[in-house]
Amino acid sequence: MQGQKYGRDTEIVQHMRPEPMTAREEAAQAGIDDTEFEIFKHKMHMIALEGKETTMKLGASTAMRWGDVAFGIFTGQGDLSVCATGIYHHAVLGQIPIKYLIKHWVNEPSVGCKEGDSYFYNDPFYAGVHNADMGLSIPVFYKGTLLCFVGAAVHTGECGGSEPGGTVTAAKSKYDEGILIPPIKIGENYQLKEDLLNMLAAMNRDPRTMILDIKARLAAARIAERRILEVVEQNGVDFFLGGLRRILTQTGEAAKRKVASLNDGVYRQARFLDTLGEDNGLVKINLTVIKKGDKITLNLEGSSPMLMDRPANSFFQGILGLSMVYFCGWLFHDLPSNNGLLEAIDWVFPEGSIVNATGDVSTSIAPLVQVTFTHGMFQCGARMTYATHPSRAVASWFSGFSIPTFGGLNQYGEPVADITPEINATGCGGRYDMDGVDAAGAFFATMADCSDAEATESDRPFIYTFRNYFDNSYGHGKYRGGAGVGYGVAVHDTNFFMLGSHGGGAKFPTTQGLFGGYGLPALFVRRVQNSNYKELLSKSDRHLPARLTEVFTDQNPEKGDVWHQNISAVVKPAKDGDTFYAYAGGGAGFGDPLEREPESIIRDLRNGMVSAWAARNIYCIAFEALSLRLDKEATELRRKAVREERKRRGKKWADFNKEWEAKRPPSEILTYYGVYPDPGTKAHGTDAAPVAASA
Amino acid sequence: MSASEMIGDQAVFDVGIDVGGTFTDFFCTASEKTSQACKTPTTHYDLSVGFLRGMGLLAKQAGVPLGDFLSQVRSIRYSTTVGTNALIERSGPKLGLITTAGFEDTIFIGRARSWADGIGFTEGRDQARIKKPEPLISPDMVVGVRERIDYAGKILAPLDPAEVRDKLQELVDKGARGFVVGLLWSFRNPVHERMIKEVIEQEYPEDYLGSMPVFLSSDISPKAGEYTRYMTTIVNAYIHGVMSDELTKLGNELRDRGYKRPLTLVHNTGGTKKAARTRAVLTHNAGPVAGLHGSAVLGALSDIGNIVFTDMGGTSFDIGLIEDGDIKAHDFIPVIDRWRTNIPAIEVKSIGAGGGSIAWINELMNNALEVGPQSAGSMPGPACYDKGGRLPTVTDADLVLGLYNPENYLGGEMFLDEDLARAAIKEKVANPLGIDTVEAAYRIRRLIDARMGQEVFNEVALKGHDPRTFAVLACGGAGGAHACGFAPFIGARRILMPSQSSVFGAYGASMMQIKEVWDRSHSMKLFTFTKQEYLKDLEGFNRVVLELKDAALRDLRLEGYREESIEFTLELNVRYGSQYNMTRVRAPKLLLESEADVKALCDLFTERYATIYSPEATYPAGGINVEDFTMTAAVIRPAPYHAEHALSGAEPDKSAKTGERPVYWSPDKGFEDTPIYQYERLLPGNEITGPAIIEARDTTYVIAPSWRYRMDRFGNGSIEQIAR
Repeated sequence: MQGQKYGRDTEIVQHMRPEPMTAREEAAQAGIDDTEFEIFKHKMHMIALEGKETTMKLGASTAMRWGDVAFGIFTGQGDLSVCATGIYHHAVLGQIPIKYLIKHWVNEPSVGCKEGDSYFYNDPFYAGVHNADMGLSIPVFYKGTLLCFVGAAVHTGECGGSEPGGTVTAAKSKYDEGILIPPIKIGENYQLKEDLLNMLAAMNRDPRTMILDIKARLAAARIAERRILEVVEQNGVDFFLGGLRRILTQTGEAAKRKVASLNDGVYRQARFLDTLGEDNGLVKINLTVIKKGDKITLNLEGSSPMLMDRPANSFFQGILGLSMVYFCGWLFHDLPSNNGLLEAIDWVFPEGSIVNATGDVSTSIAPLVQVTFTHGMFQCGARMTYATHPSRAVASWFSGFSIPTFGGLNQYGEPVADITPEINATGCGGRYDMDGVDAAGAFFATMADCSDAEATESDRPFIYTFRNYFDNSYGHGKYRGGAGVGYGVAVHDTNFFMLGSHGGGAKFPTTQGLFGGYGLPALFVRRVQNSNYKELLSKSDRHLPARLTEVFTDQNPEKGDVWHQNISAVVKPAKDGDTFYAYAGGGAGFGDPLEREPESIIRDLRNGMVSAWAARNIYCIAFEALSLRLDKEATELRRKAVREERKRRGKKWADFNKEWEAKRPPSEILTYYGVYPDPGTKAHGTDAAPVAASA
Repeated sequence: MSASEMIGDQAVFDVGIDVGGTFTDFFCTASEKTSQACKTPTTHYDLSVGFLRGMGLLAKQAGVPLGDFLSQVRSIRYSTTVGTNALIERSGPKLGLITTAGFEDTIFIGRARSWADGIGFTEGRDQARIKKPEPLISPDMVVGVRERIDYAGKILAPLDPAEVRDKLQELVDKGARGFVVGLLWSFRNPVHERMIKEVIEQEYPEDYLGSMPVFLSSDISPKAGEYTRYMTTIVNAYIHGVMSDELTKLGNELRDRGYKRPLTLVHNTGGTKKAARTRAVLTHNAGPVAGLHGSAVLGALSDIGNIVFTDMGGTSFDIGLIEDGDIKAHDFIPVIDRWRTNIPAIEVKSIGAGGGSIAWINELMNNALEVGPQSAGSMPGPACYDKGGRLPTVTDADLVLGLYNPENYLGGEMFLDEDLARAAIKEKVANPLGIDTVEAAYRIRRLIDARMGQEVFNEVALKGHDPRTFAVLACGGAGGAHACGFAPFIGARRILMPSQSSVFGAYGASMMQIKEVWDRSHSMKLFTFTKQEYLKDLEGFNRVVLELKDAALRDLRLEGYREESIEFTLELNVRYGSQYNMTRVRAPKLLLESEADVKALCDLFTERYATIYSPEATYPAGGINVEDFTMTAAVIRPAPYHAEHALSGAEPDKSAKTGERPVYWSPDKGFEDTPIYQYERLLPGNEITGPAIIEARDTTYVIAPSWRYRMDRFGNGSIEQIAR
């Protein structure tokens, strides 16, 4: 026993960048031939890919099934050297649990670390962005020497919180969130401990999926272990250790080179989140990006204070993790995804803020705080890159969430609890030379897909009432954002079921436009209890909505107890035939809509991708309503008139600012905001913060 | 061959034809005793021109006029790219899609990630530039009809034929030239799709000029997952007309010239069928599958059960597996062009590596040398081709290292310019790295060999096998030159180099069986999670099996085969609980007779699962579901005959050695004088110990140090590693 402190280890989470090179790694460098290193690197990549594919094949939860998987090879010190994933936050977050177990358990006699061991974890303080992100890793030994760790991290859709589906909207502290496990040993001698599996299953509404997901991670890790040992047999231990380290070093150097190629500058983007969990409220995520030389600094000072009894908090490491989503997918897409990238990144997080949570506060909807931050990252990144690398300047993909969550018994009487896969049906933002992609995926899980309706209906107790593009889901622009998918589900063949939803942006849009492009409209969900939907369906009622837009027309014959509510909605009982409508948001617009080619708007009109109202009032084109024939001359005149009108509305900066400064949101939504407009939170060691008011 | 199959006393010919991007290959056996092969340039504007030209060459080789030759041809097995070309060129007809109302955008949503289907890993990583492919059916040609069926096949909303008529008219008014019908859960209950077909046929009967083809997703692809089912049906409908026209024309031309038998097409499912009884979508990528089949035939001759088939050409490197003498690996989600489908195709993976792969310096990654994935292709091709290419490729590196004879490349048909190769490597690789041009060439070659070998390793390993227990079969233009280079990265110590390697797809095609695959999704719980008990509804299971068997039998009877001559194999896609991916198991028997049979099936699945993924990963208590049933019906044929030759001594005839030239094998030894042999002068039984180069008319075999080549009694090469 080493005198464990038993609590979260605030020191280990500071180890985000690569650990210093060990003497053995350093000594090995001289013996590594450049060509053989490239061969080794490709082999490691192959091993990681095999691990990722295996995890995905064997897992059972929604995220696992649809590719939201990360598989990594970590150095003996815990740094992530090689990673196969489309969810890039794992590129820097996956290492922390490994560093934790190295620090706490390797030399702890009651736990230890031996060949055949396996470790499990889901405490978001170490493991990921929230406690639905669960991981499993194993040490790899060669003739008694610890070489490295391998492991997989995936979102398992149910974690036994006080609400089903992995997120607890009404959480007041971390004790409401369900399973919260710091790295523990879950297996020894190449066997999982059945008593621990049984315990985890007992703490979870969907035990079968929980166990299948754990086994999937382990199976993939074991295969990777075998492969690595083969490589070591061939290349030797020193080559392997030195090679893993060199991948990290090279990545860091490459990231710095890439950053150095951008113009220096300071880019600011304040972002606002409109939900605290189950209730409304405005909080601020204040991002300043400073690019100087070969470094980018992310400064989040001035963000709202930490929420003591609401789940909209994030650990700082989660924010850093989400910054990697932007960096790996958009800026560093041609570099390996590992925590070496952080050599080019600095960060400043204010104490006691929602972006730097401490203590026992809940972080159950941390992903929402994090994607609100990421949206700021996209905005700053676009401005930072446009002059030198314009293809990198992309308007934001949908940067909120809008996900039905559910739990109960399915049509076969089997327990299920998860989210629906349309989380991965959001739109991509407009680009400098083309529209965003309709239903492109999810920016934070770039290898994931949104499933077939049939696959979901096969073991989830609902039927989709429709699933089509939603023409009011994206931001307009010279290049419009890609549309998201609107859908409805009706509970089918069960009466033991709960439905709710997770997300933000119902009051204040989560996703703004870029360079004059429009942001997204506010999102919502609609719930109909005691619905007559199934009766109407049995008659093939021709007025039943086939698109989300039609849900809100007078012709919609569906009756029942109708609720329009915030996306952030705690689950409620639902019975056979009840319906629930939601949509995945689209991407933001790029550039002024008045510059959009009129023919593109007509094409969108024909395909139902833009409303006639938006065509006339936002794009300001003139066309004949029935034939959709464009009137070019009238369009030019109309656009000219709108531009003139804009000029007339223009104000001098000082006048505008004076008016703007006088405005403020209603006080009832600022309860958790802190001092308005600048909450004034500061990083440790900087000037003392002004009063950071909080409930 | 039975006497009844003889055509008089004359020799009979079996011909295999494989259309490639540059050449169309022909392989022909005469009365199963001798064989001949030839190549003609692929005539993309009209494939039948190259086809008939090749038949003319075969006739010439056989010493008979084309008409006589064709009249003696017993079978033509044709692997065609007509359909694929139509897809790439988007030259298919304007189609209309009739689908479930509320799901009109399914094919455009494409499970969101359709932008990544059919593109490489590197391209897919750049999130800023993603694009979805141009759809095969435009959004305005999709209509929804009110109807709904659920997971159990129950009708929740009935279909109204009057609405179908209205929607049909809408599509006709917009110019539809064919219809695809895809409704939710139609594979479970096809009644609504069939009703729609009836309505269309009533409205536009066959004797009307406006009659148009109708394709039901429940017919073409009765599998779960609406996106892949619809896309399979759409791809099939899209290429159907083009293929039908071209093949009819070709059939007529062959008939006019004397060929009396039906034209047979190679399927990507691993068999062949009459063109007239073929679904178009099953012809995609049939060439590599034919090559894979050829590997199995050759493996049987050499008594090798586990083979990795590799085909290294100019732009791609194809990989397929023979496991225990059989082709077992099916593509889970085959992508055709840019479209995910669910056809029961044999898996042949293609990676972007070949002789044309371009070497470049990744300045961002500390001047790391990279090879590919970009390729110079065949135009402009490698720098040494002198067709305008200025970027260094793998072929340029091979030339600089002395592996190719610039004067005798492809039998002297093509001159290679070594100076251009050197200049390209020097400028783009050697100078930036500050190394010698030859060393740069060596690194390029070693990197591409490593990459290919490691990719092969993964493909074999992902199927649950130890790659080191596999032999490599190398074919393709560059396969012979690189096999000794990439085999060590697989751990393989034996390489097969078929005598027909340059026409191996055609060779494989000529040997293929009549075979049909019938598959269907049908979910059944073999072992339940809630009650922990085995399937009781054995009759339900057997009903599906018998329906598939009957369908296969009906089809093959129409081709003239009796049940006794058909071998049936049942494969099942099985999963634990709510896993998405399936593990395929071959059922020990077709029908279940008792709970013990169900248990045996469950145990077989768990055993297979444990083999692939480790025993720790198994979870029988989580419930075991069968989701897909696949019935393969193959017409039993005797193993193809291969002429055997007497073995000569190990020492090749002196005339076989045509000289020596310096070849760079390793940085340690630099250039070494290496013996050069003429392939055509080698005899069965001859052995050549590396380092050596064997130059054939159509390819070059590189025998690296520590490897020994031996020509077997069938004329095929076998290279074994004699020291590591």
